[in-house]
Amino acid sequence: MKRALIILSGFSVVLAMGWNSLNSEATVASSLKELKGDVNRGAYLARASGCIACHTDVVNGGAPLAGGPPLKTPFGTFYAPNLTTDTVHGIGGWDVDDFALALRYGQNPKGDSYYPAFPYTFYTKLSDQDIADLWAAFQTVPAVGQSAEEHQLGFPFNQRAGLPVWQALFFSEERFQPDKNKSEKYNRGAYLVEAATHCAACHSERNLFGALDQDNPFTGSKSMLEGEGKVPAITKQALQDKGWTELDLAYALKSGLKHDGDAFGGSMGEVVRDGTSFMQKEDLEAIAHYLMNQ
Amino acid sequence: MFKKSAKYLIAVGLTVSTAVVMAHGGATGIVKERMDAMGDMKDSMKEVSDMFKGKAPYDANKVRAAADVIKGHSGNALTKLFPEGSLQHPTEAKAIIWDEWDRFSKLADHLGTLSEGLANAAENKDTPIEEKGMMGNSSMMGGGNMMGNSAVMGGHMVHTAEEYGKMPVEMVFKMVTDNCSSCHTRFRKEKE
Repeated sequence: MKRALIILSGFSVVLAMGWNSLNSEATVASSLKELKGDVNRGAYLARASGCIACHTDVVNGGAPLAGGPPLKTPFGTFYAPNLTTDTVHGIGGWDVDDFALALRYGQNPKGDSYYPAFPYTFYTKLSDQDIADLWAAFQTVPAVGQSAEEHQLGFPFNQRAGLPVWQALFFSEERFQPDKNKSEKYNRGAYLVEAATHCAACHSERNLFGALDQDNPFTGSKSMLEGEGKVPAITKQALQDKGWTELDLAYALKSGLKHDGDAFGGSMGEVVRDGTSFMQKEDLEAIAHYLMNQ
Repeated sequence: MFKKSAKYLIAVGLTVSTAVVMAHGGATGIVKERMDAMGDMKDSMKEVSDMFKGKAPYDANKVRAAADVIKGHSGNALTKLFPEGSLQHPTEAKAIIWDEWDRFSKLADHLGTLSEGLANAAENKDTPIEEKGMMGNSSMMGGGNMMGNSAVMGGHMVHTAEEYGKMPVEMVFKMVTDNCSSCHTRFRKEKE
C-alpha cells in the first residue's frame, strides 16, 4: 500500500512537472529509405534482439511474431503486439520511418508512446543499417490476421498519457558511440549488449517507475516477471567471483549450459533458446569479452 | 538410564540433522534427494562440456560414463522425486510441475532417450555439424515448425536413442542441454 502511494504521488508530481513542456511529435530525420536492407542480417539481428522471443507465443505454438505470451509484472500484464505484415493487426501498413520511430523514439505512427516493456531505450542505439536490415527482414514475415491482447495494467500505469512524461524523464534518444580506446571486439560486444540484446533490461535494477538504474548497470535485480525469482548480477566482478571466464560465457550463451554444468532456466533459458543460441560464435565471444572487461 | 539414552539420541539426532542441513542449503528429505540427483547430472554435464570447450581432451569413455549417470537419473527415477506439493524450503521447483505433469514427465523420459543417445554417439566426435540456422528465413521468421515444439522438446524432433547415436556427439549433447533447459525454464524458479 505504501509503495502504491509513493508510486501514485510520484506519478502525479511527474505529470505536473512535465506535461506541457513535452513535444510528442518526434520526427525521424532519416535517409533510411535510401539504405538497402539485408534480409538475412536483419533476421539474425531480430533473433539476437529478442523480437522473436518476445513477440511469439512459443509455448502455445503461436505463429512467429504474431504476438507474445503474457508478461506478468508488478505494473500489470503486458502482451507484445503482432509484428507481422498484416495491415490491420500487424505493422504491414508501416514504412521504414515508422519502424525507426518505434525503435528509436518509442512511438507509434500516431505519436503514442510505448511502454518501456518494449526495450526501445536500448534499440534507440541501433545503427541506420541495422534498422534497415531489420525492416527488410520484417517484410518477409507472413501476415497473421489476429490482434494481440491489450495490456492489462493497474492505475496509474494504465494511463498512457503519462508515457511521454516518463520518456522525458528517463529516456534519451541516441546512437551507439564506440569507445575509440577499446578494441573492435569490445565495441562489437558493447554494441550488441547495449543496443541489441539489452541484457540490462533484466540484469539491472529498475526504479518505481520501471526505469533502469543507468548508474549501476548489471548489478542484478529481483525479476520483474511474476514467479521468476532473482536475476543474477553480471558485472565483471560478479562474473569473476562466480568463476566465469569469457570462454564459459560465450559457450553458455550458445548452448544454454553454465560454467558449472547447470542448464539455464527461467527467462534466461528462453533468451538462449530463442535468441543467443542462434548467434555467431564471434558475436557471442564479443559479448562475453565486453561483459568481462567493462 | 532412560534419560541418559534419550539425551544421547537427541544429540545424535541433532548432529545428523545439522549435517543434512549443511548440505544443499538446508534441504532435507525428498528435496535434498532430488537436489543431489540434479547435482550429479550437473557435474556430468560440466565434465562433457569442458571437452567441447577445449578445456579438457575429448574422451569417449568419459562421455559414456557421464551419459550413464544422467540416464540413471532420468525418467521415472526423476519424476518419483517430485511427489505432488513437495515444495519445501529450499526447493527451486515450481507448483506448475503438477499442473503440467504430462509435459514434465515427457521431458524426464526424453532425457533418458537423449542420454542413451549421447552414449551411443560418443564415438562420433568428428562428424561435422550443420550450424543451427544462423540466419535464413526458415530459422527465423517464416518457418512455423521450428517454434511449435521447442518448448516441449527443446526445439528438436524426437528420435530414438539409436537414431541419436548416429548424430554428431556435440549435437546430441546440445539436445541434452536443451532438454535440461526447457525443463528448468518452465518448472524451476531461479534463485541465482
